[in-house]
Amino acid sequence: MSASAEPTDDALVAATCAGDESAFEQLFERHRRRVARIASRFFSRPEQLEEIIQESFTKAYLALPTFAGAHAASFVAWLTQIAVNACYDELRRAQRRPEQQLGDLNSAEAQELTAHLHSGGAHDVESALISRDLAGKLLARLSAEDRLVLTLLDAEGLSVAEIAQVTGWSSAKVKVRAHRARAHLRRVLRKYL
Amino acid sequence: MFGRRNRQITDEQLDRLGRALVLSATNDEAAASAADKPFLYARVRARISAEQARAHDTDEGWLALLAISRRAVPALSAVAALALALMLWLASGSAPTANGFGDEAYYGSEAGVERTVLASTDNLSRDEVLSIVVERDEQGRR
Repeated sequence: MSASAEPTDDALVAATCAGDESAFEQLFERHRRRVARIASRFFSRPEQLEEIIQESFTKAYLALPTFAGAHAASFVAWLTQIAVNACYDELRRAQRRPEQQLGDLNSAEAQELTAHLHSGGAHDVESALISRDLAGKLLARLSAEDRLVLTLLDAEGLSVAEIAQVTGWSSAKVKVRAHRARAHLRRVLRKYL
Repeated sequence: MFGRRNRQITDEQLDRLGRALVLSATNDEAAASAADKPFLYARVRARISAEQARAHDTDEGWLALLAISRRAVPALSAVAALALALMLWLASGSAPTANGFGDEAYYGSEAGVERTVLASTDNLSRDEVLSIVVERDEQGRR
């Protein structure tokens, strides 16, 4: 079957709104990996990732009537917006939990950080895995807003305008937040180097 | 222990390291594993149904409240009118009695102390009351 024979997202949205449940399942199958990848930018625990996937698709399903025909963006962009906001909410909730209080880095982790600094970012798969743990530990010291804007800028590669659209912030706020987030991350890193 | 050489490190280096950290935090394997979990769509459907049921319950709750208040308003109005009528009737009944004493004359202001206050419309003073009592005593002795 050729790709053109597959229904478009808009057609599936319309079918879902008309009561076709299998159309929404197709939308889910088509976009679940994208939502999971967005969630994995912020979280590493499987239950957190699944929570984001479930929450994003539930919100999307319940808000489909408002999207259909009234939204200028594509379904993917709209779903991305929902997923990013779900991640942001979960980040804020996670920071309020007492177990989120983090200890200091040990000397091995600080050495790893220094090695990364001098290697200029080039590292093999194994060291990347270690770094993921360390990265999670360091990024958890940022506020939810700082973490969100840095991830969208550096990991998702979105422009300021796109971040503004996804988050609902103004472009000026995105720029200011990005500047502050970088300054904050520099302070965190300087502490251990 | 840390931070001895940090003067030599430029902001540019730190920003590069920061970007590397943000990229390293992504866990593609975990994402793929979470997205491919069995019965994930079934769980999403169950959650959607639960949310819809909750929303339906909330809507029904509001409707029930509206229905109750629609029936309660006339009843409460009738009770309020009755209370008002009763209050007016009692107020008219508390006018000075034939003996010249108002109802309030029988109530003391101090708790636990029973006393009669002669505060009628005639406004007898305590001395006048005392002299009446003494006169009656004397008449009784005679």
